Amino acid sequence: MEKTAKEKFRLGIFVVAGTILIVLAAYLIGNQQHIFGNTFTLHTTFKNVNGLQKGNNVRYAGINIGTVKDIEMINDTAISVAMLIQNKMLPHIKKNALATIGSDGLVGSMIINIVPGQGEASLVKPETMISSYSRVATADMLNTLSVTNENAALLLQDLLRISGSMNSNTGAIGRLLNEPEMAEDLQETLRNLRLASENTAMMMKELGTVIGKYNIEQSVASTVFSDSIAGAKLRLTIDHLENSSVHLHSVATQLDAMVGEIKEGKGAINYLSTDTVLVGHLERTVQNLDQGMYRFNQNMEALQHNFLTRGYFRKLERKKAKSEKSRD
Amino acid sequence: MTLEFTKNIRQFFIEIGELSYFAGRFFREAVKPPFEFKELLRQCYQMGNRSLVLVLVTSFIIGLVLDLQSRPTMEQFGAVSMMPNMVGISIVRELGPVITALVCAGRIASGIGAELGSMRVTEQIDAMEVSGTNPFKYLVVTRVMATTLMLPLLVILGDGLALYGSALVEYFKGAVSFQLYFTTVFDALSYGDLIPATAKSFFFGFAIGLVGCYKGYYCKKGTAGVGVAANTAVVFTSMVLFVIDFVAVFISDIFYDL
Repeated sequence: MEKTAKEKFRLGIFVVAGTILIVLAAYLIGNQQHIFGNTFTLHTTFKNVNGLQKGNNVRYAGINIGTVKDIEMINDTAISVAMLIQNKMLPHIKKNALATIGSDGLVGSMIINIVPGQGEASLVKPETMISSYSRVATADMLNTLSVTNENAALLLQDLLRISGSMNSNTGAIGRLLNEPEMAEDLQETLRNLRLASENTAMMMKELGTVIGKYNIEQSVASTVFSDSIAGAKLRLTIDHLENSSVHLHSVATQLDAMVGEIKEGKGAINYLSTDTVLVGHLERTVQNLDQGMYRFNQNMEALQHNFLTRGYFRKLERKKAKSEKSRD
Repeated sequence: MTLEFTKNIRQFFIEIGELSYFAGRFFREAVKPPFEFKELLRQCYQMGNRSLVLVLVTSFIIGLVLDLQSRPTMEQFGAVSMMPNMVGISIVRELGPVITALVCAGRIASGIGAELGSMRVTEQIDAMEVSGTNPFKYLVVTRVMATTLMLPLLVILGDGLALYGSALVEYFKGAVSFQLYFTTVFDALSYGDLIPATAKSFFFGFAIGLVGCYKGYYCKKGTAGVGVAANTAVVFTSMVLFVIDFVAVFISDIFYDL
């Protein structure tokens, strides 16, 4: 039974149309992957999506869990991203999860990483909006790195200078590094220091025992150390002592000046203390005075017995006797 | 001009329709006993074994050349270590099946077209009908089934040799050991790459056999008709192959994208 050309033509059109329909259906199904009901949608907004495209992977804790379904500009600072997530992730993603945009390797395509949030939160439902966190873009990172590099260069320069001067044997550290004697000296010093510290420890121990002794109550030291009133008195006394010593010092200074003046000056004392001839004269004068006094006494005796003055002396004796009598 | 164009369009749809009827008849005849197993095996040997060397050489060179050509670009990105992944995926998913199918279209479809065409021209097919043998079952069903079964095998062997060619380049140019190369390739590949490609190659084989048989079976009388049948068999098969590839990629995307 041979088919007519008309029938063949119709079948041809049917087959071609059928093929086109299959391709269209496959395309539409490919775009609306949740048509099989094994995915749900999550939304988030970013300020900058860094070249994210539809179909890029979505990861949760490093596992591929879905793809980017749609990217839409809301306004000049917000871009809404819809993500198709496998249904089996529903019991794992919480509402406080954070979406970040990352790169899959150095030259890889962009991906969305969903990071579990801190603390407790309820689980997401289909069409939930989760918050996002914009990471520092590569350009910013490179800028920061360049500043860090400059600082590192400056730091290295300083370090170079320090190490140069350390090597040049001039400074203390340089000498320490390069001169063995210095090192030995240092070692010796350290050894001495250790001995000293040992001695100090022993001393401290002794001091401890001494202080222990001072702790006996009623002793002077204990009173001094523990009684605040006695301490205040002691302080006052010390203050006074200090004042006195200051006065004493000024007195001593003045005395010193006086003695100096005496020594240097033309005064009688200096003359007396230094001129030996004068002393001889003085001695003789005193001897003469002695003799004169003796002779004067003799003359007075003789005068008492003289008739002219005898009456006066008798009157004196009587007055003396009278006053003694009245006293008795 | 417009009339000529309309006539051509009409002729195109008529040819599609004829091919569809031909395919329908194939399915009817294929499930109806008796089955020509002996002839099927003979055709399998003819299609498979005798195309093997051609397919292997072509695939080997394709693998080699693909690696050599894409290597400089990958070097620019510093991603030479990704070469096995890239070459492996492109060969297994697309290049292996398509190159093998095109080579087979050239060799098998033209062969079938010429063979059946000359049988039609020399009225051997009519003689078979007269003698009571079903020529469609004996000539067409066995050939189409043979290409459908053999092409996936040829594709898999071709893939293997193409990967070997690529591995050879990596071994000499990149000092990558064969073990490392194939470990990386098989790490990169998944069933999502292999299954659609294999399913696709069954369709490729079916299309090659069907179009070749159709062109030969309905060959016009005369010596020129045989040449035309062989020629159009190759051209038409190649076109159908690309359409099938196009549809197959769309459909496999649904199942293996996510």
